[in-house]
Amino acid sequence: MVILRNIVARISQSVGLLVVVASFALGQSPESWPLQPGIYFPQAPLPGKWRKSVGAVFTTTPPELTEEVRVSVPAVDFNIQRGLTKHLFLASRFQTQFVQSNLGLGLRWATPLTNRLFLSAGYDVTGWLGALQIKDVFASEAYGVETFPSISMGYKLTRDLRLTVKSEAIIDLYYRSQVGNLAVVYNRRAINGFAFTFILEQPFYNQRHVSVGIRAAYSNFNWQLWSLYDTFDRNLFYPQLIFGFIL
Amino acid sequence: MEGVYTVSNGASQFGDQAVLKWTYLFTGTDTTHYLSIFTGTDATYFNLEGTPEADSLVLKGYWRKLVNASIGEVRLILREKHNGKLQLFKGSLAPGDTLVVDGLYGDKSAALNNQLTLTYNRPLNPKPFSIMAHRSGGRTSDLLPASENSVEIIKLASRLGATGIEVDVRFTKDGVPVLYHDNTLNLRLIQKNGLTGPLEDYTYQQLSTLVRLINGEKIPTLEEALETVVNNTSLNFVWLDTKYIGPMDKVQAIQQKYRQKALLAGRNLRIIIGLPTTEAVDSYKALANKDNTPILCELDTSITRSLDARIWAPRWTLGPQTDEVLAMQAEGLTVFVWTLDEPEFIREFISQNHFDGILSNYSPVVAYYHYIEQQ
Repeated sequence: MVILRNIVARISQSVGLLVVVASFALGQSPESWPLQPGIYFPQAPLPGKWRKSVGAVFTTTPPELTEEVRVSVPAVDFNIQRGLTKHLFLASRFQTQFVQSNLGLGLRWATPLTNRLFLSAGYDVTGWLGALQIKDVFASEAYGVETFPSISMGYKLTRDLRLTVKSEAIIDLYYRSQVGNLAVVYNRRAINGFAFTFILEQPFYNQRHVSVGIRAAYSNFNWQLWSLYDTFDRNLFYPQLIFGFIL
Repeated sequence: MEGVYTVSNGASQFGDQAVLKWTYLFTGTDTTHYLSIFTGTDATYFNLEGTPEADSLVLKGYWRKLVNASIGEVRLILREKHNGKLQLFKGSLAPGDTLVVDGLYGDKSAALNNQLTLTYNRPLNPKPFSIMAHRSGGRTSDLLPASENSVEIIKLASRLGATGIEVDVRFTKDGVPVLYHDNTLNLRLIQKNGLTGPLEDYTYQQLSTLVRLINGEKIPTLEEALETVVNNTSLNFVWLDTKYIGPMDKVQAIQQKYRQKALLAGRNLRIIIGLPTTEAVDSYKALANKDNTPILCELDTSITRSLDARIWAPRWTLGPQTDEVLAMQAEGLTVFVWTLDEPEFIREFISQNHFDGILSNYSPVVAYYHYIEQQ
């Protein structure tokens, strides 16, 4: 672990020199930068402290599923985190479009690698549920469980601006779909795809901070589009825009 | 030779059962026979042609999984198991002999180096059932060798397991009914040419000259499509999906013309006008004469009854609706469900045995589950 940490630290120091020269103009050492709230940045909240955010996620539908129609599906996005130890914290996320919702619970372990570079490993389990009752169109519902092992790297670009890059594997654990009184279940563990998230977190106004970024998911299934009954056994691209106010 | 076969070598790739079914294509006075194989994994179909080689019948072609891009070549030979010994098929089977179709298939590499062995198990499920291919055969997004709603995919539909097709009818600016699904010309369906906007903004001459479907075909007229069905295929059902808003008389006239042509050719071909919306229902109601104009209603049972439609076709996402289906069938109606692509639900709908047919982008899956069903 120490060797890995040293390697990552060296790489990050080299990259950091190239990327954030401007930040040194502040003439202030990163050690003196205050702890800032961040939902994605891989730094645990202080033990016993909470972090919360509310925002929206917009998911653009892949043309393979919605064909000539390209829609950006909005979802309300809540995040809450609680520090357990100096490095360990709980993370929970709730996304909803009212007719379909997703609740996730995960555990993260985060550590600084240098003054500016941070790393975390996480494991999240999410359950999603959707139900549609529309006359002559839908009498359908579905729910499922997915899990997301992840690694995040965070870099303090400046005193206020933080960049986080998160990579996740998406693994399906369970899927149940019902139309009328007929249900089918897929009860197999399968790698569904992977995703990369790029998030900037910074102050916005009145001591509030924001998270802004994109998530690029390449997956076989996306819970938000369960009602389209995707039959393709190939990864489709689901770009997401993420915006959140850190409360 | 048609039947349900047990897959021994090759089961990890194609599943443990396969359906073998002959189809044919007429070209003038020529008939080309094709052997299709449908398996239970990943919407797989085989497209094979038989050629005599030395003293054996060789079946050559390709296999394809519709759910992904897997494809490969295949070469099979007909054999018979006689007294427990495998030998070349002589043309007829003695009692106790079993037909075996075996050979090699390729997958990622072009080389045919994987063994495939199919052993006859039982006959196909004989129950009449409509296997209808969506968009004349299947979706362009499933990377089929022909574009959706093209003449070429109509010719392929039987080999994909279909006994009938659904086609999407729109009108050009100058009033020619053509086959096209989407509201606009777009790169999902056509090759890049700079033209955009509704198909209805272009004349047939413009579309014919300037637009090619994604695999290079022309957008066919409804008449060209039905001419192909009557003259080249053994399909017995055409569902004309009403994508246009406005008068229905031209489509009615074409439907009646090709019904007569089919009858003259000795074909029992049903050509039905589909009514998916209240606008389409209004267009149908506005027809001056509704004689010999069979319709299919996708709306609820009361509207279907009020129109005196002979076919009711609810969405599959409403579930099996067993009580409603049985009630409509008791009144003499045929009941189809659309557009069902999810393999597990296809299996369940077929095993419940209530519907008279399924419209699907995955007709090989419907064919597989229908033909293996044991009554």
